[in-house]
Amino acid sequence: MAHPSDNYLTHTRGIKSWLLTLDHKRIGIMYLVTILGAFLLAGIFALLIRTELLTPGQTIVTADTYNRLFTLHGAIMIFLFVIPGIPSALGNFVLPLQLGAKDVAFPRLNLFSYYLFVFGAALMVLSIIVGGVDTGWTFYTPYSTDKARAGVIPVLTGVFLLGFSSIFTGLNFIVSIHKLRAPGMGWFRMPLFLWGLYATAIMQILATPVLGITLLLLIVERVLGVGIFDPGLGGDPVLFQHFFWFYSHPAVYIMVLPAMGVISELVSVHSHKHIFSYKMIAWSSVAIAVFSFFVWGHHMFVSGQSAMANMIFSALTFSVAIPTAVKVFNWLATMFRGAITLTTPMCYAVAFLSLFAIGGLTGMFLGSLATNVHVTDTYFVVAHFHFTMVPVGVAFIGGLYHWWPKITGRMYSEKWGRIGCAVFVAGFYVTFVTQFIMGTHGMPRRSYHYLPEFTALHQMSSAGALAMATGLFIAAGTFIHSLVKGLPAAANPWGGASFEWQCPSPPPHDNFTETPPAGDPYDMSDWEYHPEIRGYVRKT
Amino acid sequence: MKRPARAQRRTRPFAKAPSLSPAEMQRRTEMALLGMKVFLISLSILFTASLAGYLAVRARAAQWPPAGAPPLPKGLWASTIILLLSSGAMQRALAEARNAGSSHLRAWLATTLALGAAFLVSQVWNWRVLIAQQMTMRSSLYALTFYCLTALHGLHVIGGLVGLSLVLSRAFRGLYSPAFHLGVRLMAIYWHFLDVVWLVLFAAMFLMA
Ligand code: HEM
Ligand SMILES: [Cu+2]
Repeated sequence: MAHPSDNYLTHTRGIKSWLLTLDHKRIGIMYLVTILGAFLLAGIFALLIRTELLTPGQTIVTADTYNRLFTLHGAIMIFLFVIPGIPSALGNFVLPLQLGAKDVAFPRLNLFSYYLFVFGAALMVLSIIVGGVDTGWTFYTPYSTDKARAGVIPVLTGVFLLGFSSIFTGLNFIVSIHKLRAPGMGWFRMPLFLWGLYATAIMQILATPVLGITLLLLIVERVLGVGIFDPGLGGDPVLFQHFFWFYSHPAVYIMVLPAMGVISELVSVHSHKHIFSYKMIAWSSVAIAVFSFFVWGHHMFVSGQSAMANMIFSALTFSVAIPTAVKVFNWLATMFRGAITLTTPMCYAVAFLSLFAIGGLTGMFLGSLATNVHVTDTYFVVAHFHFTMVPVGVAFIGGLYHWWPKITGRMYSEKWGRIGCAVFVAGFYVTFVTQFIMGTHGMPRRSYHYLPEFTALHQMSSAGALAMATGLFIAAGTFIHSLVKGLPAAANPWGGASFEWQCPSPPPHDNFTETPPAGDPYDMSDWEYHPEIRGYVRKT
Repeated sequence: MKRPARAQRRTRPFAKAPSLSPAEMQRRTEMALLGMKVFLISLSILFTASLAGYLAVRARAAQWPPAGAPPLPKGLWASTIILLLSSGAMQRALAEARNAGSSHLRAWLATTLALGAAFLVSQVWNWRVLIAQQMTMRSSLYALTFYCLTALHGLHVIGGLVGLSLVLSRAFRGLYSPAFHLGVRLMAIYWHFLDVVWLVLFAAMFLMA
């Protein structure tokens, strides 16, 4: 390290130098802190939900409060954790580094997006709580047009601001990837994380405006009392669902594509093996992005849309599984005969694969009309989307462990990292496999009450949730311990070949003194391990 | 702690930055142009979705316009013509900015601004004509969609006017040269975009009536 004391953390000091920073690394960290705070909050609500479900009927909260709790839990998890998590926090930090650039294309816009995010988040959370909003994160009409729910308008405004933030971040990433790639880095020499972020960014700018207009219409409808969506006023609730899911199905891939990008990095680097079939992974991201715009109707199979529409949407839904499976096979092939080290990031990557496979496969059950009608609006759906969205969180944590040495300049305890992961994943299976079973037996979602025969399964599910929380607290403990006592990290602790491993840990303010030579980001054969620095050095 | 002046400058792309090489200038211009295009793609989705909503509502209606509702005012023609003229003026401004030795940039920018404002006045006039005929936002979906779409477009025009004022003030401060007039270029792209959006809305709501 040339100037060990001068890095982006020490470059300038004082709270103002953080709050007004234009440095993508600091903005990434501010997102990270905000998003982890939201995650904690939503996690607490989840535990409250699971506590309420320990017994049939009222356990700790009334039916109304229960509805607010799941609304808070869902809305915060989706809009403040799973959607922004990887792109805004990890992406902001890593993207310019992987490109070999000094910053994103528009640093001011980046900071502006962050503040939009903070204001939107605060507005949304506070008004759900104060205004007693209990519509669920989907804001279905007529729940959301019912005048009794006073907080709906500020909540929608909050989500609207979050959408803006999301669009600006996407725009920033697209332009950065187009224009700031280091000399010699062609499109197919980008790390796959960047492909994931790129495909995501495209979807952010194409899908989010639809959410924006939907929310605006909802606001107009509430203010003026003219029926657009509300059947009581002569509106069409199915129209709302079309609008909503036209955004929200692509949004599930806005959530998962960055996670897949992270997994591509983790699997290759921690298997010390070249990623298998780079191009297939890159193109499958794009294919997923394209397909996902044509399947929104699978959320509406029982809404009364025509049988023809149902059949078309069902068939299209199946097609999304193809590029997803392509990715999974490529990851497995990458690991096959690799020199796998079961580091904590790798444990999370394996956890992602095992969970997401189940999530995707149960999506096929839901995409088939006959089974869908049986299990829609039951805990089967709840389990399905947790098996798809929690892996996004898993990839986020795995990525955080992977880049943690880069971000902080410190190593963490592998032992406790692995234990945390194992406890979390075990808890997850207990929590949600039981919900699949309950769903197939007809346990409806979004209800605080249930038939007594579900009691045992619900209690198991709650016990699993407690284990998940424990796993996460262990993970948090490893991070805090690392900040306080962690050993200094080498520039390249894992032996990765992409650019971010070729600048010091933590990186200097300007990232690179000179841009490293662009090569194959997955050719790790040039790097050899030096135990004395606990890191890899390029062979000379 | 003293501010890192160089770093500050590094991240302020388009102020006069003498330290920037022409290549760097070029790269930043490209970035800004691409950024604007991506932004407009996103905006066009916003308007497309609004239009789709409008068409969906209209397709469900038994009768359009509903019985007793007034037809949309002829004044929309005036708005359309004014906006087209303003696009022309913007294009002239851009040509002036590109052309060394010409001094009409400010005049044409000011003309664009004035025509843009006139467009808004004309739109408000059209609203007033309808309101005088007892057609308010609450009257029907026919009324609501008309007011909403024109308001949505109008808000973007207002945003454009803010941008135009900034560009104009920079033009007065002499910050544009034939070699470097990125602000004018970005403004022109945005302005023409709003023009096209209006033509589509006009065709969908008025001509297809
Ligand atoms: C990639 C990650 C995925 C995420 C984040 C995700 C998320 C969700 C969510 C949130 C719901 C619940 C909607 C609601 O009722 O509130 C849902 C339902 C559904 N998902 Fe997924 N999903 C993913 C992947 C898939 C895949 C790969 C398929 C099929 C190939 C699929 C098919 C379905 C279907 C058909 C439903 C509708 C269930 C119903 O009738 O309510 N999903 N998904
Ligand atoms: Cu979907």
